[in-house]
Amino acid sequence: MRTLFSVPIAFLALLMSEFSFSQGYQVNFQGQKQQGMGLAGTAILMDGSSLFFNPGSVAFSNENSINLAVTPILGNTLFTDSTTGQGYRSNSPIGTPFSAYGLFQLKDHAKLKLGLAAYTPFGSTITYKDDWIGRFALTKLQLQAIFIQPTLSYRIADVIGIGAGFVISTGNVILEKDIPVQYESGDFASASLSGSALGFGYNIGIHYDLTKKLSLGLNYRSEIQMSVDDGSAVFEVPEGLDENFPDGRFSGSLPLPKVLTLGAAYQATEQLTFVLDINRVGWNAYDTLAFDYAVNTSSLEDTKSPRMYESTFAFRGGGSYTFTNNLCIRMGGGFGFSPVQNGYITPETPDNDRGYITAGLGYEFGDHFSMDATFYYTQMTRTGHNTETGLSGTFETKAIAGGIGLIYKW
Amino acid sequence: MVMMLSKTHFFIGLLMVTCFSCKPKYEAPEINSGSTNPERFLMVGGTFASGYTDDALFKYGQENSISAYIHKSISQVQNSNFKQAFTTEHSVGMSSTGLSRLILGYKTDCNNETSLSPVRESNNGDASVLNNIYTGAPFNNMSIPNLKLVDMFNEDYANQNPFFGRMASSQTTTVLSDVMELSPSIFSVFIGLDDFMPYIKSGAKDDSLPNVTNFENDYRNLLQNLTQNGAKGVISTIPDITSSPYFTTVRWNDLVLDSANNAILNSIYNPLEFYFYEGNNPFMINDPDANMFGVRPIEEGELILLSVPLDSVKCYKMGTLFPFRDEFVLTHEEQVEIRARLNGINNTIRSLAAEFNLALVESEDFFNHIRDVLPYNGIELSNEIISGGAYGLDGIRLNTRTNALFANEFLTAINKQYNASYPMINATSLDAAFFP
Repeated sequence: MRTLFSVPIAFLALLMSEFSFSQGYQVNFQGQKQQGMGLAGTAILMDGSSLFFNPGSVAFSNENSINLAVTPILGNTLFTDSTTGQGYRSNSPIGTPFSAYGLFQLKDHAKLKLGLAAYTPFGSTITYKDDWIGRFALTKLQLQAIFIQPTLSYRIADVIGIGAGFVISTGNVILEKDIPVQYESGDFASASLSGSALGFGYNIGIHYDLTKKLSLGLNYRSEIQMSVDDGSAVFEVPEGLDENFPDGRFSGSLPLPKVLTLGAAYQATEQLTFVLDINRVGWNAYDTLAFDYAVNTSSLEDTKSPRMYESTFAFRGGGSYTFTNNLCIRMGGGFGFSPVQNGYITPETPDNDRGYITAGLGYEFGDHFSMDATFYYTQMTRTGHNTETGLSGTFETKAIAGGIGLIYKW
Repeated sequence: MVMMLSKTHFFIGLLMVTCFSCKPKYEAPEINSGSTNPERFLMVGGTFASGYTDDALFKYGQENSISAYIHKSISQVQNSNFKQAFTTEHSVGMSSTGLSRLILGYKTDCNNETSLSPVRESNNGDASVLNNIYTGAPFNNMSIPNLKLVDMFNEDYANQNPFFGRMASSQTTTVLSDVMELSPSIFSVFIGLDDFMPYIKSGAKDDSLPNVTNFENDYRNLLQNLTQNGAKGVISTIPDITSSPYFTTVRWNDLVLDSANNAILNSIYNPLEFYFYEGNNPFMINDPDANMFGVRPIEEGELILLSVPLDSVKCYKMGTLFPFRDEFVLTHEEQVEIRARLNGINNTIRSLAAEFNLALVESEDFFNHIRDVLPYNGIELSNEIISGGAYGLDGIRLNTRTNALFANEFLTAINKQYNASYPMINATSLDAAFFP
């Protein structure tokens, strides 16, 4: 078990990272092969990454493998204020969602498979430039969650596999904004809330080969409440207001929604495969963002900000073509509906319905090594306002990502 | 692992190169003046429009006046001159009563408790503020602290109001005559509030309310002058200023009694059939009609003015044994009277806007939004004193931030009436109060 744990953890330490861009704050870069095919692959065994997409599919693997991947993403948001016409850009760092999978069997063709997965299914990092018009709503949000998922999969019949993983989610959040009170110099005060969170959940799936060519997969990833119980609130305020804004502890929680996925995969020929996934994401769990401060004052009251997310569907699909020389090309795309309703658009997740396109390449170097690379592009525009803050305008975002993954199997 | 990382870096570099195209492009929205001519902008008004705030006229307030922000927007479409009758740089300013401006400082009360409070920056106002600076005329902001509409035609006004005296072309000129020196191409008028102010601010004791017929005649006269060369413009109704912190900070039942004081007050007032309880109680006020002693508890909805001496209230039984005098209170009856007159005057202004085809600001909507808490880009503007972020330290006049927002109301009205698209001012990062 030592090797099994040490690799992913070393990987985490290096890539403890900021990542951005997603539907809501969901990040969908958990497998390079799936990413190449429009982020779909719930009904097909790809590699160790199926531990995420469908633990049931994993039951059909016949290998031990280690799979590491990272998908640097660059997102840029432009906010154009509807009243002044002024534009403000985000300063988004390059995000690096990653995944690491270890997949094992105790003997060849064993019905039972063991897996350990680490991945980053939720997260968001966005920083706006100083003095931007929404500075009192948000200047920076950094939300990270890393899921660790030990998994067991079992092939209960030649055509049916089931699997279940226990998910331990660790995360941290930093939220910064300015406070509309001024020093004598005219500078504005600011607040920084940070904390770490822990949550638990599960990931279960079933895989069924309907025919030689057509397979179905059903996957359910549970909702996880990420609770910050002992967060730290730090206020930079003029001395005269120190008593109004005492530094102290706060608590809050953020739901990471459940995701139900129905997938299908069709192997048209030896070379050509098509996949399709339909996600139902339980975003309705995110109705309020609440901060409960340990010490309240007349200026520092507990806050409850309405988010009122709605559950959404996303449709993803793609195909792959394998050349005889171990080279595989993939293409895909998808469309996701936004969970953010009008009136609740925030600078944290300037989200909208959006389409995206993906492409990928895979190459096998002999029996043990393979490599996959992917490309992803999306853009979206969202015009609206936030009833709580009064911020009103158009968020326009473009994002591009390139991923690379390495697999060693034996 | 090393190989892994270098590949990662390679990819990041590749992304950066290919990502020139993944930055959304900013396109500034089109702005235009519609059927207005932005060449010569003129503001006519009273205290609010003059830049008078924190209970004084001083340069910073003038620089951030409503008119300054209207012009800031207008000049983005077409550059133009904008002159104000500035006081000297860094002056402590001059109030209507000869005092300096208010700043936020520490004040120790009769209970020896020190807290943040508006305090005068200096013992005296800066008399040089009142020196005549007509040589800088014509001024684009012809707004004069305390200017009543009726006084625009008063030939002795330069002597009566030193804030006009400092701008006047001569001792015998009228405000209207000096206003017309500019021959505006576009104007905004926010006048009439000062016709109400002395009455309202004195608890309906001093002065009187404006006469509607006279007001209408005077206003028509003003507008005939302003529009004689075909100028377009915007005028505004008058807000009910009793929603400002000056009238809402001391609440009717802010009298908190412990058992000892409760017993004393009951022993005194029970014979009049007024009863007190431990905890919150209504203050006592003078009201000649109440009973033979002329005192009664204030009722919910009646207003106590911030002019009450707070130390007397805290330590010397004012509002209890010594009921608040008439000048510190607006009773229901007085508010109804003010409200009715305000409606009459505002209906007059509305019909004049229609008569002269002018844009109209319903200023009361704006002030009511603040009363009801106005969310603005993450700021919650309210009528809480200081912390509400909307009013100046005097509790009546707007601060820089809300001057700009109020200017946006004028711009919005102009845009609507004249098919223009003058840009709104971004008030988010503008100043409110400065804290030590």
